[in-house]
Amino acid sequence: MTVTTDPAVVAAELPTGRGPRRRLPALQPKLIAGLVICGGIALFGLVGPWFVGNPNTVDNVGLRGPGGGFLLGTTQSGQDVFAQLAHATRGSLIIGLTVGFLAVALAAFFGVIGAYAGGLVDEGFSLFSNIMLVIPGLPLVIIISSYVQDKSIWLIAIVLALTSWAGGARVMRAVTLSLRNRDYVLASRVAGERTWRILLVEILPNLVPLLASLFVFAIIGAILGEAGLAFIGLGASGSWTWGTMLFWAGNGLALRLGALWWFVPPGLMIALFGAGLAMINFAIDEIIDPKLRNQTRAVKKRWLASRDAKAQQKALEEAR
Amino acid sequence: MHLTTTRRRPRRTLALATALAGTVLALSACSGGGAAGGGGGNTGDGITVFNGATGNIAENWNPFTPTALQPTLGIIHEPLFYYNLASSDAPEPLLGTEFSWNEDGSQLTVTIREGVEWSDGEPFTTEDVAYNFNLRRETPEFNTSGQTPAAEAISDTQVVLTFDSPASYTQEANTLGNTPMIPQHVWEAKSDPVTDINADPVGTGPYTVGSINAQTYELEANPTYWGGEPKIPTVRYISLANADAASSALLAGEVDWMSSFFPGFEDLIASEPDLAWVNTPALTTSLFTCSNAALGCEGPQTDPAVRQAIYYAVDRDQLNNLAFEKVAELPSPTLLIPGRDDQWVSGEVEATAPSGADVAQATQILEAAGYAKGGDGIYAKGGQRVSLNVQVVSGYSDYIAAIDAMTQQLAAAGIELTSSQVAYNEWSANQQNGTFQLSMDSIGLGASTDPYFTYQPRYATESTVPVGESAGALNNARYSNPVVDAAVAAAGSTDDDAVKAEQYAIIQKEIARDMPYIPLVISSTLTEFNTSRATGWPTEDDLYAFPATWKAWDNGIVLKNLKPAN
Amino acid sequence: MRFYLQKIGFYVAALWAALTLNFVLPRLMPGDPVDIMLSKLSARGPVAPETRRSIELMLGVDSDESIFSQYASYLGNVFRGDLGVSVTYFPQTVTDTIAATLPWTIALMGIATIIAFVLGIVLGMLAGWKRGSWLDNLIPVTTMFQSVPYFWLALVLLYIFASVFRIFPTNGGYDVYGTSPGLNWPFISSALYYGTLPALTIVLSSVAGWMLGMRNMMVSTLSEDYILTAEAKGLTPRRIRTMYAARNAVLPSLAGFAITLGFIVAGSIVTEQVFSYPGIGQTLLSAVQNNDYALMQGIFLVITLSVLGANLLVDLLYSVIDPRTRARA
Repeated sequence: MTVTTDPAVVAAELPTGRGPRRRLPALQPKLIAGLVICGGIALFGLVGPWFVGNPNTVDNVGLRGPGGGFLLGTTQSGQDVFAQLAHATRGSLIIGLTVGFLAVALAAFFGVIGAYAGGLVDEGFSLFSNIMLVIPGLPLVIIISSYVQDKSIWLIAIVLALTSWAGGARVMRAVTLSLRNRDYVLASRVAGERTWRILLVEILPNLVPLLASLFVFAIIGAILGEAGLAFIGLGASGSWTWGTMLFWAGNGLALRLGALWWFVPPGLMIALFGAGLAMINFAIDEIIDPKLRNQTRAVKKRWLASRDAKAQQKALEEAR
Repeated sequence: MHLTTTRRRPRRTLALATALAGTVLALSACSGGGAAGGGGGNTGDGITVFNGATGNIAENWNPFTPTALQPTLGIIHEPLFYYNLASSDAPEPLLGTEFSWNEDGSQLTVTIREGVEWSDGEPFTTEDVAYNFNLRRETPEFNTSGQTPAAEAISDTQVVLTFDSPASYTQEANTLGNTPMIPQHVWEAKSDPVTDINADPVGTGPYTVGSINAQTYELEANPTYWGGEPKIPTVRYISLANADAASSALLAGEVDWMSSFFPGFEDLIASEPDLAWVNTPALTTSLFTCSNAALGCEGPQTDPAVRQAIYYAVDRDQLNNLAFEKVAELPSPTLLIPGRDDQWVSGEVEATAPSGADVAQATQILEAAGYAKGGDGIYAKGGQRVSLNVQVVSGYSDYIAAIDAMTQQLAAAGIELTSSQVAYNEWSANQQNGTFQLSMDSIGLGASTDPYFTYQPRYATESTVPVGESAGALNNARYSNPVVDAAVAAAGSTDDDAVKAEQYAIIQKEIARDMPYIPLVISSTLTEFNTSRATGWPTEDDLYAFPATWKAWDNGIVLKNLKPAN
Repeated sequence: MRFYLQKIGFYVAALWAALTLNFVLPRLMPGDPVDIMLSKLSARGPVAPETRRSIELMLGVDSDESIFSQYASYLGNVFRGDLGVSVTYFPQTVTDTIAATLPWTIALMGIATIIAFVLGIVLGMLAGWKRGSWLDNLIPVTTMFQSVPYFWLALVLLYIFASVFRIFPTNGGYDVYGTSPGLNWPFISSALYYGTLPALTIVLSSVAGWMLGMRNMMVSTLSEDYILTAEAKGLTPRRIRTMYAARNAVLPSLAGFAITLGFIVAGSIVTEQVFSYPGIGQTLLSAVQNNDYALMQGIFLVITLSVLGANLLVDLLYSVIDPRTRARA
């Protein structure tokens, strides 16, 4: 996991919640690329399954490359790889989004509310999230997965969310702790605003970029985690996700048999989606920490260049 | 702020780092690369075997424990006789040369081979044989059959085994073919035979243990073996994580003998001239059904008409093409193996299951039993749709591909099939407790090819319990038929093949009609070998032993028969 | 003082919670180790009804103790170092099983993680120092490597470098023919050779994370006042880059690194599946598949202790290496 921000730095650099202009991410090439990729894949996952055939239908043609009516060829039992890919995209995105929302919700709940409330509640929540953090996630996932029958996508999503929210909660808590001592928050408290209003109006807007970054991380972490689980045979094996497609392709020795049309697309989709999300994450990082922005550097350069030009001019004039 | 940096500095640091990494790599590649390009190389006359072991190898040569390393049974220790499960021949003498039953089938007299020595030089005597059986009988942890006989050495060459009840003929294969012989002088001295790992095992077998660690072990030929020292000097066993690793090791020439099923094997093996394979189908892949409503089973599969309809609606050719790599064979409704077991198959049932789907027959059976097709194309009777759930171990991709195909095949006949892929623990727990409707599994190997070992455990009422209790690995279908029970009892209490065949015919008529286990295909047991290292492997024309590397007892027979290729 | 007591108290509580969870969860799994063993035996040979009883007796799993007394004796045994006997590898003790496989996992994953960390930090430092250089363009590429599922990347690299171009071996931890484990050079060099490809895949797929984090922190740190002061004082850029900027920027990454080290064991399962590497991940999978309670508990204990240990180390040391956090608390 990337430790992108030291809470101290983050707390120092967050925009102070006034003015919508500063909150929207500036449209730069990285962000546009990221949104286009993720949007495209999401569209494919949403709409694709309605237009493609049945991914489970077997066909006597067996393992064949693209052609003959199959856009991406067929699997070992003659199933349509393209149809599987469409359904798998939908499945993986469902898992990713579910885990993203759950993880962010849990992190926000245990991190923000605990830190703001202070006292025993804070200690308790902090202890709980730290315990969840140190409990090894993968063995827990393995056991929970093998305990419940019929591993559906939802089960995998819930299990992944349960094991991945704790890190985010820790970060949220650190940030909230520093925020709650800001002047404007203290002012609101003194003015008698109700707690939930303070949380919603003063504190939460500052946390939005951080939550967004957490959300993006959780999604890609969930998709990769599900793929890893599927590979060792503990995934949502009855449903189609990128991970289960890779599992079948691996079991069918697709790579060794040269059936690259079966083995490559799911992995490539995960990589593309992850890259797209990472680029969106870069943009969010730059909101959180303006020093990372290219515009900042460009402005600075211009400023320095113009300063240089002025100094040169001055020197020339004095030389005359 | 301007930070003027010369361009060279960052590059220097980077260059240094890359150089360091490169040196480490080169160093290790140089020293390790001395072996045959790309991997470990076996440069001697020995062979390498992969018998399905994954992960950690824990030293355990104790033949009484279920977790003993596999060469313990057959290669290090031998039984009295060898029962070849690939053919229907009489048992081959190993440590025993002759045996005979007494009048009422309660005593078995065995003549042992003379001149046999244990690998530590002590002679193998009838005292050892007697000690074996008595130890087993008196130690509950070892008494796996529950009916181990009491043994007495009546002379230097003969031992009498006395069973608890008369007509114990069915115990013959287990006693003579499935009991390893251990030395008395070694085991008497062990303080706790149950948990002893029997390091440096002493046996009569063709090989002894050379070296062992957590990743591999090596066996060495036994120079004083009674059948002559084996020609292959060393046999090394390794562990690999999955079928992919096994196939790549085979193709790279790193494994000489293994029994793995992997997709596309025919083309892959054909690409390497040194490799060969043999197929010995012996396990009938079937749909196990929880068939007996009286014992607590629920669902449409409790109706024999539904089970018969499934039997006819399945397209076995398509299953063979798409799921079983075209090396499966047609099963028999008697659940025996056509060819090998022809002498036991009654002429009254059809010889093999139909190869294509017979949808007309299936629908006719259902309609004759009172089912009517609903609006959704699925048959129903009394408000209950014929919708069945089949459970399968997730990761068994051949079974799952078969289920995918069957879902379509059965839908054409008006039966709905849904599937649950579950972990092995759950699958086996469900099957043993009867909490399933259909389950993909295969009928396993018995102690010998006598059909008694297929019928008694799977079809007899004494082998089953109501749903909710564990039936062990036996009659999971909860089948209970007094006609079959009587026939099984009769066949088990005689030594006369003609009488047995008669009784089996009765059983076969019943089970072909009731079908608590719906046979799908006889799935392949593939074994692959590397003929450039050793020759003398079993072939389809000469199946002198069951060639699978994991098969106890047969593995010793195969290893004895091998010769170096050059 | 109170700070340290509080920290240690928390970790004791976390340890107890983890131990209890380790005890409870395996027992919630469906199936029974004896039944599973029976089921596996029946696929290979004949199994009689009485076999179940004899296996039960042998494995010693038919205890009539209540679950509470089992729990109490489990806790007692853990503190005495007795982790029980494995069912999968009967009669090998759990301690022996772990001792046979854990060193391989720690060696491979530990070394690979350290290499990835060092490489990532160095690259990140250089990328953050020199904005807009070619290193900055490296970031999207490495990020893509990190987004690829690890096992996919590993399978592809294994196929290319071991089957197509036979540069690296296809499986194993060392050359089982020529060498045997011990403190001798042939074994060590063989182990290095066999571990190169797995380590390479781990490094490739995780270096992006460290690099990105370090780069962002470098950029933040470089705008601090003390950097400007150092520049003004006339220190060489190289000295500023390493002694001032990087030292401060690496702190959060160090914390993350310690925590990652704690999760090595859990993360090694996939690597070992792909490369048939003889580590503890495969043992864990076998234990889960066989309902081997004792072995599962033992391995979880190892994982829990390493994770907790790493976290404790970070918590205690962070206040030592970064005095600013002390002031804040």
